[in-house]
Amino acid sequence: MLLTPYRVLDLTDQRGMLAGQILADLGADVIAIEPPDGSPARSLGPFAGDDPGPDRSLFWWAYARNKRGITCNLDHPEGKALVHQLAAGADFILESSDPGVMAARGLGYDDLSAGHDTLIYTSISAFGQTGPKAGYQATDLILMAAGGPLILSGGAGEAPVRVSVPQAWSHASGEAAIAAMIALRARSATGRGQYVDISAQQSVAAATMSANLAASIGAAETARVAGGMAVGPFTGKLIWEAADGYISLTFLFGAGIGPFSRRLFEWMYDEGECTIEDRDLDWIGLGAEFITGARPLTEWDRLMEVVGAFLKKRTRAELFDEAQSRSLLIVPVTTVDEVANSEQFEARDFWREHEMPGWPEPVRFPGPFVKLSDNEIEYRRRAPTLGEHNAEIYAELGLDEDALSDLRIRGVI
Amino acid sequence: MTTTLVNTPGIPTEGALAGLKVLDLMWVVAGPTATRAMADFGATVVRVESANRIETARGIGPYHNNGQGPDHSGLFGNMNINKLGLSLNLGTAEGRDVLLDLIKWCDVLTESFSPRAMRAWGMDYESLRQIKPELIMLSTCLFGQEGPLSRVAGFGTMGAAIGGYIALAGNPGGSPIGPYSAYTDYLSPRFALPTILAALDHRDRTGEGIYIDQAQAESSLHFMSTALLDYTINGRVPQLVGNADPVMAPHGCYAASGDDDWVAIAVRDDGDWANLCAAMGMGELTCDDRFANLSARKANENELNGIIAGWTAEHGAIEIEYMLQAFGVPAHAVSNSSAAARDPQFQHRGHFLEMEHPEHGTTTFEAAKGQMTETPPTYRSVAPSIGRDNDLVLRDILGYDDEKIAELAIADALT
Repeated sequence: MLLTPYRVLDLTDQRGMLAGQILADLGADVIAIEPPDGSPARSLGPFAGDDPGPDRSLFWWAYARNKRGITCNLDHPEGKALVHQLAAGADFILESSDPGVMAARGLGYDDLSAGHDTLIYTSISAFGQTGPKAGYQATDLILMAAGGPLILSGGAGEAPVRVSVPQAWSHASGEAAIAAMIALRARSATGRGQYVDISAQQSVAAATMSANLAASIGAAETARVAGGMAVGPFTGKLIWEAADGYISLTFLFGAGIGPFSRRLFEWMYDEGECTIEDRDLDWIGLGAEFITGARPLTEWDRLMEVVGAFLKKRTRAELFDEAQSRSLLIVPVTTVDEVANSEQFEARDFWREHEMPGWPEPVRFPGPFVKLSDNEIEYRRRAPTLGEHNAEIYAELGLDEDALSDLRIRGVI
Repeated sequence: MTTTLVNTPGIPTEGALAGLKVLDLMWVVAGPTATRAMADFGATVVRVESANRIETARGIGPYHNNGQGPDHSGLFGNMNINKLGLSLNLGTAEGRDVLLDLIKWCDVLTESFSPRAMRAWGMDYESLRQIKPELIMLSTCLFGQEGPLSRVAGFGTMGAAIGGYIALAGNPGGSPIGPYSAYTDYLSPRFALPTILAALDHRDRTGEGIYIDQAQAESSLHFMSTALLDYTINGRVPQLVGNADPVMAPHGCYAASGDDDWVAIAVRDDGDWANLCAAMGMGELTCDDRFANLSARKANENELNGIIAGWTAEHGAIEIEYMLQAFGVPAHAVSNSSAAARDPQFQHRGHFLEMEHPEHGTTTFEAAKGQMTETPPTYRSVAPSIGRDNDLVLRDILGYDDEKIAELAIADALT
């Protein structure tokens, strides 16, 4: 696998676990280090069978794959010493504690890179390690508000609304994986590691599609439009009602989208549901006609109504099928169950299964995030149970079963 | 913003990725995000465009001073800082010859054409590896290179719809609203880029190239793994719940006193609740049985939200943010672009940067995401106008002479 030679100590909780997951999927030897009573991620719901338990958190199952797991008390002097010893053999450290916590434990970058200057140490935090908001309390919703995506999503004049599956920390974790890999490339040239500081606030800003630059470049703020986007004086509607649910149709004029709109109206004309005049509008130059006043803006509203009426008579499948043969920008708005049952993902052999402890059937996980011509991503181990790899990993430090049981009794591991 | 950076397009010599050569045939947002990160850290990224088919992002706002034109898009500008721009007409054989020379030059080739296009030009991975076995090639599109939907051309807005994200945001009983715009475009670079960099490291150790087939819809599912598992294991399909959270209440966006002024508040536990009550000057609420613990607060969430909204309406969002954070309660103003530009934390991080711009005087773009102690990013040039760097690429990188360049121009290969 691509990253087989490298070892990662993953000290993150739910705020950073995807970072180590990406490196683990690419083949790195990732060791997740949890407190003796388990990662806080193990107490995150939902749980398998809605039955809470440290080995039943679906979050843990999803984001600890391909990692080995050990326990270690980072607040115990002997626990710290163990982390120092493990760090000496690691290429990467990932951590997501509140700023300053790792340094206060004596496990900060300066502590662990002393005498080990090849180490790449990546910290993930809400607002970054320093600055006026570094000590802020944050959750997913708070970060989506602070970083810019939230204000853009929701109905006009209504409260902004978030994606109900938390996203912010995954954005930050993704950026952490990127930066850690950039640092690896630097290390192969210079021989030295470095410290990487990732801010979730900055990371989620990517989800504004650069609308967060508007004020800085003299543009108007982007208006919030439920299921659409404002394009100058126009509303570009993206979410439409079909007979049996919703579809996404990108409907607009101009060089990029206009030809698609023209083809949509050709279909509508073939079905006798629009006039030949509407079909033959200048779909590329229409925007200019509205802006110059050559055509009243109410005409745009009327065209949207004509389209809306056409779509509402047809099922999502009918619309999607025809969209593919006519090359239209229509896809169904799918729900999670439909995603899970999609023929496309099945045809690409996307899903992967693992036997999970305490669960009767194999569990199906989202598969490799990319397909590779060689060195494919393998789902080589399920998420570890608590302390599952203590013996094999601590053995590398020369600790035998007796020593481990002593450490366990004294709350070190 | 204190400094206006200087716009000097050229071949970078410093940075974590100095010396890395990237040929970028990608469009819009998902692809260009990945190559921008490489350019920021010192890679030479040659971005191929054509005036015959204007890149979609050039037509998407926000627009500099609300103006029109191919170099007005703040989105395009933000995605393509630090890259070199070559205009190439791939409809001509001569244009494709130049492309082939660039493929021989580069370490990494990235493309987001439809799966058929590269094959038709004989530039699919199987053909290219014959002439360059160590090539690293990324193909990225919505559904990947095969499967019943592989021919669906798509923007990230469609990825967000068919990838399940639109249906995850909206108010109870309403239509799905979804996250803003092309959501899967923001997610897929987080998987493409570590893979490319891992492949480079592997190539340096083994001499082997690799082909990366990314279906953006598949990569993006890793941001909703728990919802997929909750369905496959527990049979649960997420409903539209507004901003409600299963384990936090109150939890939402509340109207503050200004115009389109909102504050996000999240109460994680009873301690946060007591602190929120204290911050609002409503200590008596902590003794109110209706809100005594999470299950009570969830059961009486509408009443609870009404009380909080009554209080937030009296204050500005930023003022509320400071008041609540002083009590340790997670809260933040819901920032728009103007609030973001003034945000003291973004300023501390140097998130928004200004560079001189030939057409607009100055432009603003976002900093690289990772802050690195040894190899910081560098910002060297604004996004290229179409064909801005033709001379530099054709002469300095490919070593073409005047005669060769003139022939290409005559053959209409450089448009």
